[in-house]
Amino acid sequence: MRLTVRGGPALVGLLALLPGGCGPDPRAAGGPANGYLPRESSPLTVAAAADLRFAFDEIGDLLARRTGRRPVFVFAASGQLARQIEHGAPFDLFAAANVEFVKELEEKRLIVPGTVRHYATGRLAVATRSALKSGEIGALTGPGIRRVAIANPAHAPYGRAAREALRRAGLWNRLEARLVYGENVRQALQFVATGNADAAVISWSPHGPPGVRFFAVDPRLYSPLRQALGIVAGTRSEAAARDFCALLLGPEGRSILRRHGFAPPGRPLGREGG
Amino acid sequence: MSDFDWFPVLLSLKVACLATALALALGVPIAWLIARRRVPAAELWSAVMLLPLILPPTVLGYYLLLLIGRQGWMGQFLEERLGITLVFTWQAAVLAAAVAALPLVARSAQAAFETIDPHLEDAARTLGGGELAIFRRVTVPLAWRGLLAGAVLAFARAMGEFGATLMVAGNIPKRTQTLSIAIYDAVQSGNDSLANGLVLLISGLTIAGVLVMTRVAGRE
Repeated sequence: MRLTVRGGPALVGLLALLPGGCGPDPRAAGGPANGYLPRESSPLTVAAAADLRFAFDEIGDLLARRTGRRPVFVFAASGQLARQIEHGAPFDLFAAANVEFVKELEEKRLIVPGTVRHYATGRLAVATRSALKSGEIGALTGPGIRRVAIANPAHAPYGRAAREALRRAGLWNRLEARLVYGENVRQALQFVATGNADAAVISWSPHGPPGVRFFAVDPRLYSPLRQALGIVAGTRSEAAARDFCALLLGPEGRSILRRHGFAPPGRPLGREGG
Repeated sequence: MSDFDWFPVLLSLKVACLATALALALGVPIAWLIARRRVPAAELWSAVMLLPLILPPTVLGYYLLLLIGRQGWMGQFLEERLGITLVFTWQAAVLAAAVAALPLVARSAQAAFETIDPHLEDAARTLGGGELAIFRRVTVPLAWRGLLAGAVLAFARAMGEFGATLMVAGNIPKRTQTLSIAIYDAVQSGNDSLANGLVLLISGLTIAGVLVMTRVAGRE
């Protein structure tokens, strides 16, 4: 136990004594300079909802080109990320798929006051390889649909929205036995991409895996997915986090988010793009 | 492949080596105390030591989080007294892997110690050897094979540790993302070719590590 209690330096020192060159120093090996030692030199770490993966990777490229520093993204279901922040995860910025998780953390003083912003509105969609001819959510009860994937409603906002939409459409009871839960929207999508689920009710994305088509779900069936972000209290990179927010909320960020299927914050959803 | 990220590979090797060392440091003395019945209710402790093997890794991770997390008694102590936050660091990954590997070390070591004739240790005692010297010069050399088997299993288990690590160390690229977690991440993001490459890598590395351990230690 004492080894871990003494923290980094003791362990690194002990490592050097180990025979056989276990885990060489990444700096000596020309590897990344971050991660082993002090946090000050760490890049901006953004905890982001799983539906943001492709949009944020693009924003990361943009930032890397412009500033030479690429942020690190941690993608997972928003509820899992919120729990990790409560347990002290060293994130600088939290971009959730809803506003509730961010507000919850703000009430616990884990978000820098006044930094909560809506940055996009998410769309719910039916993703399928080809089993469905139409995008109507009712088609999910048809023959040929044996498994429907959704993100786990326990901690994924899109999972909650999917449950709500299926309930409002009166399909929940009929579909419940066919549902499989993914950890997050990406895993639910993966179930479809690998053919293990016939359809998924997840976030809409124009850049899905090959062969997977998306049909937007009628927005009247679910409460708006108002995606919000906030700067995590105790961050050592508040300035970089603010720069990231400015980029995301500015015209360039808006256009990237739009290209990845998100509607602007605050605007009611139409059915365009489905 | 020029921009291949070696960080998870190096981190996994480091975490697995340190976790194996930690599991040996804790597991071998405990196994000896149990094997020589130096603790009350030794059979019970022997069974309790298997808990990390029985519990699902995420449950194990959850308990570790309760222990070393910000609200955990140990986590609070570390943060308030020493200013150390253990959760979501690579050191937490070492701890998770060591706990997961502990039963494998303890069981193998206990079995090895139990096959040693206690008279040999008693004979050393009559020759005036101190307890520590006897342990080091009589018991451990006789139990060597079993200890090595435990270390090999512990290393393999630590390389593959996923569930508990994800809970207590998270999935932070360049900080806590081990090979197992990088594979999970690659699969989740639909990057199958990266996932396949990493799977080959972790399999090759672990087999090579085990072979090296067996060769080097078995030569004795």
